[in-house]
Amino acid sequence: MNRASSSGLYGAIQRRRNRGLVGLYLVVAAFLVLYAVLFPGILTIGGFSKFTQNWFPLALVTMAQALLMLNGGITLAIGPLVSLGAVIAATTMGSAFGVPGGILAVVAVGLGIGAVTGAIVALLRLPAIIVTLAGSFIITGVALILLPRPGGFVPGWLSTLLAGHTPVAFLLLLVILGLWKIFLATPLGLAIYAAGDNPVGAFRSGVPIERVKIVSFALSGVLAALAGLFVAAQTGSGDPIIGAPFTLNSIAAAVLGGVGFLGGKGTMRGAVCGSLLLSVMINVMFFLGFPPVAQYVAQGLIIVGAVAVPAHLALWRAAR
Amino acid sequence: MMRAKAILRNPPLLTFLLVALVWLIAGLSLRGFGAYGHLRYLLELAAVIGIAAAGQTLVVLMGGIDLSVGAVITVTAILLPLLSPAWDPTGLVGVALVLAIAVGIGLLNGAGATFLQVPPIIMTLAMATFLQGMLVLVAGGSAVTVQNPAVLLLGQSRPLGVPAGVVLWILVSACMLLLIHRMPIGARFLALGANPLAARLSGVSTTRNTLILYALSGFFAGLAGLLLLGMNRQGYVGIGDPYLLTSIAAVVLGGTSILGGRGTYAGTIPGAILLVTTTALITVVNASPGWRSIMFGSLILALLMISGREARR
Amino acid sequence: MTDAGPLLEARRVFKGFFGNPVLKGVDIALRPGRVHALLGENGAGKSTLINLLSGALAPDKGAIAIDGQPISRLSPASARAAGIAVVQQELSLAGDLSIAENIGLGAYPRRFGLIDYAALARGVREVCDLVGLTEPLDMPVADLALGRRQMVEIAKALFRKPRVLILDEPTSSLSAHEAGVLGRLIATLRDRGVAILYISHRLNEVQALCSHVTVLKDGGVTADRSLAGVDGEGLVRLMVGRETGELFPPKPQQRVGKVRIDVEGFSAGLVRDARLAGRAGEIVGIGGLVGQGQEDLLLGLYGAIPAKADRAEIDGRSGLPVDVAAANAAGMVYVPADRKHEGLVLPHSIASNILLPSLGRLARGGLRDRRAEAGLVADLARQLMIKGDVARPVQALSGGNQQKVALAKWLPLDPGVLLLNDPTRGVDIETKREIYLMLRRFAAEGRLVILASSDTPELVHLCDRVLVLREGLVAAELSGPAITEAAIVGAAMGVEQGEGIGRKTVQ
Repeated sequence: MNRASSSGLYGAIQRRRNRGLVGLYLVVAAFLVLYAVLFPGILTIGGFSKFTQNWFPLALVTMAQALLMLNGGITLAIGPLVSLGAVIAATTMGSAFGVPGGILAVVAVGLGIGAVTGAIVALLRLPAIIVTLAGSFIITGVALILLPRPGGFVPGWLSTLLAGHTPVAFLLLLVILGLWKIFLATPLGLAIYAAGDNPVGAFRSGVPIERVKIVSFALSGVLAALAGLFVAAQTGSGDPIIGAPFTLNSIAAAVLGGVGFLGGKGTMRGAVCGSLLLSVMINVMFFLGFPPVAQYVAQGLIIVGAVAVPAHLALWRAAR
Repeated sequence: MMRAKAILRNPPLLTFLLVALVWLIAGLSLRGFGAYGHLRYLLELAAVIGIAAAGQTLVVLMGGIDLSVGAVITVTAILLPLLSPAWDPTGLVGVALVLAIAVGIGLLNGAGATFLQVPPIIMTLAMATFLQGMLVLVAGGSAVTVQNPAVLLLGQSRPLGVPAGVVLWILVSACMLLLIHRMPIGARFLALGANPLAARLSGVSTTRNTLILYALSGFFAGLAGLLLLGMNRQGYVGIGDPYLLTSIAAVVLGGTSILGGRGTYAGTIPGAILLVTTTALITVVNASPGWRSIMFGSLILALLMISGREARR
Repeated sequence: MTDAGPLLEARRVFKGFFGNPVLKGVDIALRPGRVHALLGENGAGKSTLINLLSGALAPDKGAIAIDGQPISRLSPASARAAGIAVVQQELSLAGDLSIAENIGLGAYPRRFGLIDYAALARGVREVCDLVGLTEPLDMPVADLALGRRQMVEIAKALFRKPRVLILDEPTSSLSAHEAGVLGRLIATLRDRGVAILYISHRLNEVQALCSHVTVLKDGGVTADRSLAGVDGEGLVRLMVGRETGELFPPKPQQRVGKVRIDVEGFSAGLVRDARLAGRAGEIVGIGGLVGQGQEDLLLGLYGAIPAKADRAEIDGRSGLPVDVAAANAAGMVYVPADRKHEGLVLPHSIASNILLPSLGRLARGGLRDRRAEAGLVADLARQLMIKGDVARPVQALSGGNQQKVALAKWLPLDPGVLLLNDPTRGVDIETKREIYLMLRRFAAEGRLVILASSDTPELVHLCDRVLVLREGLVAAELSGPAITEAAIVGAAMGVEQGEGIGRKTVQ
């Protein structure tokens, strides 16, 4: 890339986007500092690795969700896709496929399911929320048939690599974020934002909005399925319902990061920050001795709060 | 020819005929299917779905989906034994308390959807997740046994050979049909479902009707939870889960458009029976819960594609 | 005029929607180096013609030809590829993206598959200089004022280096300065050989910029000629082409009754600090260019959007209605401009649409009274001459009849104040006449009719008093003989016309 000349406009646009998120960055930083004070273990390599491993799948599903919300859609099939990804990883990697075959299978399934869902939503013009609700039942069913009970097998070395005492997960996340940045610098990537904000206008400007929608669903499917693969590696086996909490978590994190329900509003970097924030909150609750189900209570409240508070702030500002 | 067309255009009737056909074929080909006891049992199971789907029908008519139905059923089933005071020999106090909680949950859903502007599906999903966590925190996750006489009577007694649950379902059906077709609020729900903006500008209050709608959905889910508890004698976390999916499936099987604005509870009634029957038949061929989930999901998707096509015409 | 063949043509195109013909065999030919005006009233078929020329719609009959070659199925993409660019009235911008990203959207320069931001910046800078956009290119479009966004939209069209440029009311939200820049730009492009189609309601602009004109009336072409030697009145005659006297009922002698509405310091949406008073028996018009706050004014009074007023009195009660139900209870009703999306529940029957506001009032003991409902519907259908079975879905009706249903549903409430937003848009002449008669009758019955309209003749010939809005402010209040097209248009555009536009307040 021609850095010198491109840094002008591209850099200016990026800086302006960051400027809008300063508040969020500060909140996240404050929480991280608080966390490090409470649990200094995070500052060791091992502690940092564990922390980022807990964050990693949430970051992936949040990206998967934010991708669709930015495009004006939403998906309720994230959790089941995570489960299916985990199940496929755990059933293929022990077989003749091996690890590379297993990864390929997970990616292919995520891509395929996402593309089909996207095609139904885009070409038949049906509401994404209901299509993905129906899809979530079907995907759950498939996962249950493939692996009725938790089981399967993920090679130990893969678990150690991804979820051991090294920050491989964090590095992978950086790679994925880098790939996303590159994708966003392509006409197709930027079209996701444009079509989410003003679909009619984007269509008239020559953006193939149907194709954009299908691509975003397909990418979203890949990200969710990969999160499932990671979860399988983390636990060493597959579980057909392990992904369930991720559906709402992904929405909560995206909304926390400032992504709107109506499309085109928000940024991916904000969503990833939102997932980090949510991850820290969950970790803190865990360390403070809350039972795991308290997470559910928190999710419910966070979603409603994250939607309601900004909306009411805006109303309040408008009224003044 | 004309008549055939009229039947095709009348989804409730179509579903009824389908139920009759399935019952006839299954009764002739499967031993024991047509026995009075078995059919009565099917109706009893259908009653729970039918009542849970009553609220869901209204929500779908108004263009939403209530994803908290299963959680509310669980909440009522778990809380009833805890909230039935020993000094009340009838058990009605506990019933009233639990139903009030169910209505309260519904009202919260409605409030989130109207005042906080959270999309209703997200709001009810968040509520379901919230309740799921709360239940384990509050009730500890172990099964509870019911002693409440009113609920046991509802679940176990058979006045004149008809299960009390089915009697309750008939009552609910009558109320629902009255509400949708003979009361102003039914027409308002339908108008809001078909075109919320036009309805609002015609003086139909979105806020008021959304609150009433979700309160009703909570109430019917609570009622279904009580009936289920009475039939089961035991309540546990997760008891309501299967009813989320089946309530939606019963509604769309009955020909109600999942996009809102068109449909009737008269279709949900045979829809619930058809659903129970097919599930029973699937169980005969020994299908796993996975297959059942796939079947319901595909069913909803297929009907969505059909009703979506009609909506765009 | 040039001798070059037309770049883009429509050849005897027909187009209808839901059985209502909109274009009935229209020809138009856009030649290089010529600015071609397209004139016509609201609903004459201009937007449909633009959509056909840009590939957004396909004609039912006839053909679109590019460079003389008929194209069987023109898509927006192939139209763009052929160098046809359209600046529509509704903006096609994405608010969160920067000016540069918006201008390049759909035509980004690439390098190794990525957007070449450096080349983008150069290309965008160039077109921005042409249209006089000096804002930083990385600024999100959402931070720009409406007029500046319109300039971004125009720059976006230029970025594609079009051979044919279609401008649909480009100046409606521009300042006088911006409109001047645009005028010079159009001249430059014309000299470079671009074929330009210019749609505007402002005849002075058309006469200044264009050399050729096509006039549409009721879906047909009434003129296709050089503009040389044609004066404004002649153009208006071609567009209207009928004696207005037939269309509008005579205005009665002013015989107004009690004050129905009196608000001061009223603000809602775009509208700021408006004063509005109306008496029983009056038809008060609200005019102005598109989107100057007319709709917000009506919706604010109706309690449908947040509004506040220093002082408000409605039928003797003080205070604005808090919501629509309160407005209805106070005897105010609203007929929206977009009847398909805001006025009617399209898939539901005519009867249920008519009954919707009256459901509660007709119920007895909490249950609907079927007989009373049927009686009411039959009565209204007869009164308004809505023909056919009332159980049919309302979407089966023609535009005019739909509008009658949207009006009829309010009559059982016996409203004291009717708020109407462009009720005759897209309605056939016959129904227009019926609606005008109806509005006059409502006024004669002692109601107050407040009529926002984009149709200036309607304001002139139907209204007793006219408020002209500009950028949310009441720019003029006209009454009696002072209501002329020139006065309304002048006030709407901010042109002072001496004594002609009085800022006097009636009463």
